[in-house]
Amino acid sequence: MRLSVVAAISHGRVYRRFGLSPRSRLDLLRNLVTALVRHERIETPWARADEMRGYAERLIDYAKRGDKDERAMRMADFWLTEKDLVHKLFKVLAPRFQPHPGSYTRLLQIPNRDGLDRAKMAVIELKGNPLPPLVRPRRDSDKTLLNQLLKGYRQDAQRAAAA
Amino acid sequence: MAVLVLVRSPLPRLRALLQRCWGRLERGLWPGVFGGQSPPWGPAVAVQGPALVPRGWSDAEAPSPLESVLWMAAPKQRRTIEVNRCRRRNPNKLIEIKRNIDVCPECGNLKQKHVLCGYCYAKVKEETRLIRMEIYKKEGGPFNTPTVETVVLYEGEKPTEKDEGKRIIERARKRPSWFVQN
Repeated sequence: MRLSVVAAISHGRVYRRFGLSPRSRLDLLRNLVTALVRHERIETPWARADEMRGYAERLIDYAKRGDKDERAMRMADFWLTEKDLVHKLFKVLAPRFQPHPGSYTRLLQIPNRDGLDRAKMAVIELKGNPLPPLVRPRRDSDKTLLNQLLKGYRQDAQRAAAA
Repeated sequence: MAVLVLVRSPLPRLRALLQRCWGRLERGLWPGVFGGQSPPWGPAVAVQGPALVPRGWSDAEAPSPLESVLWMAAPKQRRTIEVNRCRRRNPNKLIEIKRNIDVCPECGNLKQKHVLCGYCYAKVKEETRLIRMEIYKKEGGPFNTPTVETVVLYEGEKPTEKDEGKRIIERARKRPSWFVQN
């Protein structure tokens, strides 16, 4: 006879618990996905952003199938509560991400929220959005010792090749 | 004196569970335990009953207060300040020092290594807010998202051939140095 301890141990559970119930969790994530598709960059608690990321990327994968696909249209209809975003999803986001095989979103942590809870916040954005970039890619400065030595080596090699 | 007493299970769920197990037993899922005969009594629960056979109580005197009172732990000696200091200042009680604080290369403020710089993020957030205000003014009302890409142009900039067919959002200022046009 097996008295299961399913409720007490959560080894291997991947989905976090949000809101009042599983349905409420889906509604919460659905609102976040809608906001992301509308504004292309949102700031939210890190846990919600992390959870929502998977759903958003799968929605874009469905959208890449094209809007004639019945399943894709049903998914978009469920996940986007504002129906003008369905058009944006199929006509703007799907062509934008057609060349990419995956990872259409970028998740970055920002300093903790200013309120009493000091919550861990993150900003999640779709790649290729028209807004100003959050992180500038930095190339290593030329003035470091290693780079100066490499530069000298390259110049010596060029001189030896020329002579 | 405590006596082990077999009584009928009072809880219906426990009794149902035990009945299922007994059913499995009888149907032969655990063969060899019984010879297939149904026992004369059903599933039962063994509980520790109260002393049903009190003997020797009438002879003995009433128990003294020292035997019936509940004893609890209490410190015997005052902890000295030296011992207290050792406990309070033990490294596991102190706040751990963070070694992942760096200087942002753009603005020079302090930032954690895995977190975006607060100042730079506030700058970008303000600019995004102003761009979004322009977008709302252009769209007019709610739920008017266009079905084309958007591009943001600053003062004195013309749309390039890559910006064909995109919606143009004008911002009335000079292009900031950290927003590179591509």
